[in-house]
Amino acid sequence: MESAHLEERPHKKRRFFAENPTPVVATSVRHPSLPPEASSSGPAPPGITPTAAPVQTNVDDVHNGEVADGFDTGLLQAIVGELSPSILTKLRAISGNDVQRAINLYLDGTWSSATMPSTSTVLPSRQSTIANGFIRRDSEMSITSTPSSGTSTLSNSILRAMPDKRYLGSFGAIGWATKSGIGLLRHDEKIGIERSKIPPRLGKGGRVRIVTKKNQDIIVRFTNARGEEVGRLENDSATWISSLLDSKLCSFEASCVYAPERIRTGDNIYLQLRCYFLRTAFVARKFQPSDKMEEKELFESMESQEETDLHKRQVALVKLFEAINLHPTRLNEANEKAKREGLLQAAEMAEEKEQKPKMKSGELADPSSSPPSDEAEEGRELEQDQLDTLYKKAQSFDFNTPELNPAGTFVMDLRKYQKQALYWMVGKEKHETLEHKEVMMHPLWEEYEWPTQDADNAPVPTVDGQAMFYINPYSGDMSLEFPKQEQNCLGGVLADEMGLGKTIEMLSLIHTHRNEVPQDESSATLRSLPRLPKISTAVEPAPYTTLVVAPMSLLGQWQSEAEKASKEGTLKVIVYYGADKAVNLQKLCSVSNGANAPNVIITSYGTILSEFNQVAALEGNRGSHGGLFSVEYFRIILDEAHYIKNRKSKTAKACYELSAKHRWVLTGTPIVNRLEDLFSLVRFLKVEPWSNFSFWKTFITVPFESKDWIRALDVVQTVLEPLVLRRTKDMKTPDGTALVPLPLRTIEIEKIVLSQDEQDVYDHIYLRARKVFNANAEAGTLLKSYTTIFTQILRLRQSCCHPVLTRNARIVAEEEDANLASDLVNGIADDMDLSSLIERFTSEADRDANKFGAHVLKQIQDEANAECPICSEEPMIDQAVTGCWHSACKECLLGYIAHQRDKEMLPKCFSCREPINARDVFEVVRHDDEPEFVEDIRSDFLEPAPPSASQRARVSLRRIGITGSAKTQALLTHLKANRKADRTIKSVVFSQFTSFIDMIEPALTRDNIPFLRLDGTMPQKQRAAVLTEFTNSDKPYVFLLSLRAGGVGLNLVAAQKVFMMDPWWSFAVEAQAIDRVHRMGQGHEVKVIRFIVEGSIEEKMLRIQDRKKFIASSLGMMSDEEKRLQKIEDIKELLS
Amino acid sequence: MSLSKRIIKETQRLAEDAVPGISAVPHDDNLRYFDVTIDGPSQSPYEGGVFKAELFLPDDYPMTPPKIRFLTRIYHPNIDRLGRICLDVLKSNWSPALQIRTILLSIQALLGAPNPDDPLANDVAQAWKQDEQAAIQTAREWTEKHAKP
Repeated sequence: MESAHLEERPHKKRRFFAENPTPVVATSVRHPSLPPEASSSGPAPPGITPTAAPVQTNVDDVHNGEVADGFDTGLLQAIVGELSPSILTKLRAISGNDVQRAINLYLDGTWSSATMPSTSTVLPSRQSTIANGFIRRDSEMSITSTPSSGTSTLSNSILRAMPDKRYLGSFGAIGWATKSGIGLLRHDEKIGIERSKIPPRLGKGGRVRIVTKKNQDIIVRFTNARGEEVGRLENDSATWISSLLDSKLCSFEASCVYAPERIRTGDNIYLQLRCYFLRTAFVARKFQPSDKMEEKELFESMESQEETDLHKRQVALVKLFEAINLHPTRLNEANEKAKREGLLQAAEMAEEKEQKPKMKSGELADPSSSPPSDEAEEGRELEQDQLDTLYKKAQSFDFNTPELNPAGTFVMDLRKYQKQALYWMVGKEKHETLEHKEVMMHPLWEEYEWPTQDADNAPVPTVDGQAMFYINPYSGDMSLEFPKQEQNCLGGVLADEMGLGKTIEMLSLIHTHRNEVPQDESSATLRSLPRLPKISTAVEPAPYTTLVVAPMSLLGQWQSEAEKASKEGTLKVIVYYGADKAVNLQKLCSVSNGANAPNVIITSYGTILSEFNQVAALEGNRGSHGGLFSVEYFRIILDEAHYIKNRKSKTAKACYELSAKHRWVLTGTPIVNRLEDLFSLVRFLKVEPWSNFSFWKTFITVPFESKDWIRALDVVQTVLEPLVLRRTKDMKTPDGTALVPLPLRTIEIEKIVLSQDEQDVYDHIYLRARKVFNANAEAGTLLKSYTTIFTQILRLRQSCCHPVLTRNARIVAEEEDANLASDLVNGIADDMDLSSLIERFTSEADRDANKFGAHVLKQIQDEANAECPICSEEPMIDQAVTGCWHSACKECLLGYIAHQRDKEMLPKCFSCREPINARDVFEVVRHDDEPEFVEDIRSDFLEPAPPSASQRARVSLRRIGITGSAKTQALLTHLKANRKADRTIKSVVFSQFTSFIDMIEPALTRDNIPFLRLDGTMPQKQRAAVLTEFTNSDKPYVFLLSLRAGGVGLNLVAAQKVFMMDPWWSFAVEAQAIDRVHRMGQGHEVKVIRFIVEGSIEEKMLRIQDRKKFIASSLGMMSDEEKRLQKIEDIKELLS
Repeated sequence: MSLSKRIIKETQRLAEDAVPGISAVPHDDNLRYFDVTIDGPSQSPYEGGVFKAELFLPDDYPMTPPKIRFLTRIYHPNIDRLGRICLDVLKSNWSPALQIRTILLSIQALLGAPNPDDPLANDVAQAWKQDEQAAIQTAREWTEKHAKP
């Protein structure tokens, strides 16, 4: 129907406005989206629709009794009676200007329901006389206004018009003979061009050529007029011609320009090729419903083969156009040449990569050192300084941006910059209205004119209304229709640095820009009538709902923040996760359920992924799944969006498939370490043209990888600028005040000295690693044994934390058993409670030695405040006692034992010179530092109970060394000192090894230090509970977090001390973790201590951190030779 | 090398809470270097003498014992001509729990109880063993000659 209408309009115009076409164009331009029905069917009131004006004139003409163009209105009206102008117009249109037919149509009543394809058969001849430019313009406009539902009819009609193939251009090519003979080819002889599929027939040489379908099969043969094979095209041209033939884009006809009379094998033959575009090239892709196809492609995740084909197709097209010297008549990018070159380069690069053996399966599987992404990544990493430059460019925040006050339902106070963010975001979302007016060619497409003459200046058949065709060189798509620029992204990237309140800003947006549910009762019921909540198989709109996708650990935080920020009852928030998923979202969020639809649904990336897989299992049938993919949200917000930084990861693909009107991503680090990270965000946002990876590659990846990174970054900046809002904490307003005043943060590196035993373990592993490295370096097998060496390095790092981490569980268990056995023999258990010891000794009072022991043990408590006999500290720092019960500072005592051992002397007690054993040194644990005993002390004063009873309970002995490594000791020392200084202080401890956290736990338990733990294995509910407990409790908790699970998103401002137990390859990751504590809301100075073992690999890691070269997240990726070499350099440095 | 808390405390106590008959004063320019005087114990051939000595605290003090040497000549089987002292707590029996004060007291006690069976000055030890009275007399004379102010 529409198509007919399209054809009809120019016809009318031609008749009435041929002399002065401009106003008509103007009219149609102003109303490109006008529904076709308005003008063509139904008796529309004149003067309202734009087409009414010409119709009016038409009717006037008619009433003047003139016979225009052979359509006798007078006759018509004489027979059927007076007709309204619009009916007249329509009758005329559908009858094809045939009065008799019009009369019949009118009388039998079919006219009102008649479709108009019949007209199109009549019209072309007329159309062809109209100025080309005019038609093109008009058809463009019409097509752009055509909703997609009309596509199939449209292409049908075009199909009829487009011949099987259409001449595109011609070019010269060289071939070489594959056989010899006389008079095989004459000048001008017609030549057939075919792909290798010739039957294995006997040539003159009698040989059978077997052509196997290989990747590299590019052979293009040509035959003479008698169909005999004569030769092949030269490889240069055959490469692309073969892929054009294979992908059924083109066919070729050729004629011989020159061939020697006597042809010998290998002789050059000069050909003239005429290229035709096949109709199928335009049609094939169209006939697949675009939506379905896309889904299929994405849900099956079989991209690589398709991508390869695409590259070939792209290259072939570009080369073809070069060969026939065809230039676009219209394209969006100014620098065409750069574009083409880039495109070729990109494709070539991809090919090169393809050819290299894929080593993905050999990836390092160690979870603690591999990056937090499921699949291999690509693209070169950014050096830190490049990243800095880029960010600096993206950060040109205008401090004079107007502010917008949030809606009244939002109850939190926003800071100035947050109101500015709100203004910006609302502006982005509402930009739609402006965008709608302009109809632009899609920036990825190029327009080409069909040639009207061939190379010999002979006219070639043209097709009416199809003076142009369109090619998208990035996707390889071809079209006969005008490609309209799709709606621009109505969202963006909110990349404010951590702690600036992205969540709050987003919540203010949710409150401020929302669709109101109509309050009017009647309209609500009316609305619900036609569409009762039922499960539809299509994606249904959810105009009141914002979907928030966040890492699991943040779900609770989002929910509570959303509730905190909203006036009671103004925002319905549900968490869609785990067991809470038992709702049909399509039903719940539907328009008809508006009053009850949730305003915010919070879910996790994991949920998205699992539902994505379910939908994929249903063959992409989103609607009937009823889950996250079954509705089109008003808005989607991806929190911590670097979760989807890898465009190949399933999670990223799943997120791309979510439907929404507005799309936002929140991330403090839009680029983690490569430009491709950004692509994934852009892809999610559906920002044209950048969301096309081929395009992205051409303009960003390729220049960047060929070291032209200034250009690449410039382009990135143009991508980012309109899309990204980023402010940093250290930004200063023009008057010099900080954006967010945060309390001071100090980071200190504390050097740890390993105990002798630990050092032994470390040295042992180090030597082994060196040995492996040297052996491989000599044998030249470094690359092969990369994983092994890297594992050794991991072991080294672990041994800096705790030697036990490096050993396998069985050995450790055995050792512990042995220790236990010897302790039982000695009558000393690892942890002796002083009270029970005293009891034991007094019960054996008859023995002198024990009596003495009992006496001394009792004294230990009194001695606590005495001076250390070794260092004279008073009181002792970490009082410790020998097996002969002499007290000193723990460090002094251990130091003295070590000193004696170094001199190869038998360690003896400093006091009584009894031989002592390092294992028999006990730490005195004084429980009176612990808050739990505060009340006990007070009760001592109140009632004169025997002091010994309560005192005994407050001291216990613990064997040193069992609490673990030098690092745990150092941590405990700090924690205890903090506890002494301030009993309410909370601390956060990060380690990348959860097994190390396992070792820290018992040490904390023994010292009665209350702690909480969060790692990747915990289910969401538990995480939320732990976070709430940490934030709300009065207890001086120590929060043990794994760097990976706790490094992102969490809000830990309740803490003031941060301990980084082990360094990560890039300090950025550590800094991010630190920022969990040092972020908005932190009211105290934050002290950070990083434990680094002196003289160890950790120190070297710090050096590498400083250089920012070595980024561990790429360690899993071994495809790039150069990169690997770089890493080996780094390893050399680590093991030097 | 900065001074440890221990050395500072010891020095303070030596000054504030002096032991009769013993003094140890650090040099202004090197607080690890002490001028020491020990009064000869009564009822010994060294009675009435004031013996000067020098004492140096090595860097790893108190893990290692102080180094100490008599500057005043003394006739004693466990002290040689250079003033070096043979005393177990200054060697193998050192313990970080010992201090300057206790070491000096030990030396003072050594003056009162020579031990010719573990000699450092062999000639003196020999003389002591052969004719103790004569040796004591010599010691007295030396005290008179060298250790009187």
